[in-house]
Amino acid sequence: MHRARVVKLILWLFTGLALAVAAGRFLYGLGATTNLSDATPWGLWIGFDVLSGVALAAGGFIVTAIVYIFRLNEFRAVVRPAVLTAFLGYLAVVAGLVFDLGLPWNMWHLIIYWNPRSPLFEVGWCVMLYLTVLALEFFPVPAEEFSALARIRRALLKIRLPLVITGIGLSTLHQSSLGSLFLLMPYHLHPLWYSPLLPVNFFISAVGLGLMMVMFESHTTAWLYHRKPETALLARFGAGARWVLLGYLTIRLADLAWRGRLPLLWTPEWQTAMFWFEIALMVIVPVLLLSIPAVRFSRTGQWITAGLAVWGVVVNRINVGGFMQTGRGYYLPSWTELAISCGVVSMAVLVFMFMVERFRIWEKRPADPATAADELPEADRARLRWLGPPRAAAEAYSLVFILAAAVGFALLAPQPAESRGISPTPVRHARGGEELRIDGNLDGFGVTFRHSSHQEVAGGKDSCVSCHHMNLPRDRNTACSECHRDMYLPSDAFRHDWHASARGANLSCVDCHRKGALRSRETARHCNDCHKDLIPEGSPIEVKGYRAVGYVQAMHQLCIGCHANLGEEMTRCGACHQGLEDFIDLPEVSARRLERSGKRVVLPPY
Amino acid sequence: MSFAILTDTTKCIGCRECVIACKKENNLPPDFPRRWNLEDGLSARNWTSVIDRPDGKYVRKQCRHCLEPACVSACPVGALEKTKTGAVIYARRKCIGCRYCMMSCPFGIPRYDWDQPVPYIRKCIFCYSRISTGRQPACTEACPTQATIFGERAHLLEVARQRLRESPGKYLDKVWGETEVGGTSVLYISDIDLSFLTRGQELTDEPVPERTKLAMNAVPFAFLGVVSAMAAVNWVIQRRMKLEREPEPRPPQEADHA
Repeated sequence: MHRARVVKLILWLFTGLALAVAAGRFLYGLGATTNLSDATPWGLWIGFDVLSGVALAAGGFIVTAIVYIFRLNEFRAVVRPAVLTAFLGYLAVVAGLVFDLGLPWNMWHLIIYWNPRSPLFEVGWCVMLYLTVLALEFFPVPAEEFSALARIRRALLKIRLPLVITGIGLSTLHQSSLGSLFLLMPYHLHPLWYSPLLPVNFFISAVGLGLMMVMFESHTTAWLYHRKPETALLARFGAGARWVLLGYLTIRLADLAWRGRLPLLWTPEWQTAMFWFEIALMVIVPVLLLSIPAVRFSRTGQWITAGLAVWGVVVNRINVGGFMQTGRGYYLPSWTELAISCGVVSMAVLVFMFMVERFRIWEKRPADPATAADELPEADRARLRWLGPPRAAAEAYSLVFILAAAVGFALLAPQPAESRGISPTPVRHARGGEELRIDGNLDGFGVTFRHSSHQEVAGGKDSCVSCHHMNLPRDRNTACSECHRDMYLPSDAFRHDWHASARGANLSCVDCHRKGALRSRETARHCNDCHKDLIPEGSPIEVKGYRAVGYVQAMHQLCIGCHANLGEEMTRCGACHQGLEDFIDLPEVSARRLERSGKRVVLPPY
Repeated sequence: MSFAILTDTTKCIGCRECVIACKKENNLPPDFPRRWNLEDGLSARNWTSVIDRPDGKYVRKQCRHCLEPACVSACPVGALEKTKTGAVIYARRKCIGCRYCMMSCPFGIPRYDWDQPVPYIRKCIFCYSRISTGRQPACTEACPTQATIFGERAHLLEVARQRLRESPGKYLDKVWGETEVGGTSVLYISDIDLSFLTRGQELTDEPVPERTKLAMNAVPFAFLGVVSAMAAVNWVIQRRMKLEREPEPRPPQEADHA
């Protein structure tokens, strides 16, 4: 039994880690704990937990069909484990959905809000109903142990045939409808995968894989519990699965040929490589292996073949579910997504192990190490006490679980603060391409910032550091005002600093402002008192005051602040430059000015 | 009455007044650059954006309000609805957060509150409360150059065709959104190729929901077919097994009587 214990220890470790991540996911949202994005809204949890989970649980309906419908009684030995696997598989699917759905507490809305046109609606209903059917199909097994439940058990056994038939019907529907889900994505799913036959493909692969999963599960538990696997029986499954998988391959290739997509099979793209990888893992290698009798009838051969095919289908579902959504951008699951997926599977396996140890899933329940040491092979008895008696083992599991959860929390702790806020901009390409919209005070408005021209002015490629990386934590870019020092001045047409400074106009306050009065724009002399040539002689303009919109106001309102609000008024300088009341034709004015004084307007040096 | 928006990209000056009006109208909080944002400027907090194209061209992006929306047919709980006004609206109280609408939208419009523990789908809702009370959407109202205008769809199609007729050569000879995926309520005329809005993909005229129709219609028949086939097989096999166990007494042959 030491194998089972080591495996359980590892499973509890994954479960503990998943617990921490689950807490983080519900506290901080999906963005902080996954690599999902607006580009790839579906990822590992849909591809693996949901799509693969449902496909791999197909063993349940296939084996029940074989035994109860086709009445091949020799397969009875694998019914109970297959139904249990299916039941737990679907529970795991629902658990996976709890993490993936944004509002899992609304899951029951499927029952009251209907949209029968939606494939997902149909899948949801089928999964709900089939889960119920599986529960009813499986319930008699644990009920054997409790005499109080005998009546319910007998009643359930009586309706077993209708249950099995309903289960097959429901499985057929949702196994295929999971493929129909992707029919709505003709412009996203890669053409090697998108096909009107997706529902058929999904169904056939689920049938093949259901058989392989029963095989895989039987051998894995045989290894775990030193049990004798049903190798001869499973060899017949293998022979059947071979034809199903070949049929699947034929349909997929024929479909590609029919739609004229065969050339895609040789285009040097990574998607093509993934297609071949998936097909090889799922069909070609298992079919070849199963065609060799020595492999088909050998324990290891079956185990490896089934394992390959199972992974093949997982790859296929993940490809369809997220990876092959072309043009959506690059997606790789984060460690947190992997942790949840592993945790959900681990939980399911732990429940499976509990069930087989506690109830009669196989003809013979696996030996309890505490009481039935004699039944174990010699080599294992020596290592029996690896984790001590059951109580010590439980303590070890708890310890591992808590430690893993602690590690999970520790790993997660620094992450949300970063993920919830601003992504680190220095390593990011400027959003919106060449032009950034900067909204320093976060009021929803912003200025357009031309990155490359700023880079040029700042000194080319190596000048990044003059704006980035020179500041305090959480302040990732240099503020605009670091360079645009005048941006908070009332106007860039009038530089107060310059007029007052010794290096500039070197004026004292009273040179401009009325003595004794409050020093403001109103109490200052007009520009044209000194700048006699501001307005050429003969100009119709009368300057009464002078004030222009400040830099910040002008830039933060973008073009529109003036163009929309002022409209026709824009053509009047006085609309902004209060005091320049009348209409002037600027080109004409400056031409006249050049002609008369031979001087262009020269702004004072900054 | 089915309303629409017509955007003439040749008139757009890239002022983003529509963006600001949209944010004000819908009380959208300021946006940050986030890991999960796309380059097109749309996000859970920006329901419309103006995309800068080369040579100083600007293209406004927003929900296209398809006539036969993929998102509406995708939503398992019917949280998305195409209203008579033309708007595709969203009932957050129904949403379960499956994000199937995001996956199915051919234009990649719906966005998600990735940073929220209680996240919702976010997209342009055509200022539904305004247009259903006879007003026009905030964005078209704000546009200073009439680059994006509001009206009845049939009328705007007429306007678009008229502009194409009146200034041949100025525009590409196409009204974007007239027929693709069954037509959309947001139309464009443009002097530049707008296929970048669908990442270069040519959309066919087949409405996206049509693609699942066959499969969805087959559902009840598939269920009944499988169930009755299983029942029939079971009955036949059961009977055969029974017969094997206790062979039926042979009917007396006529020869015996003779």
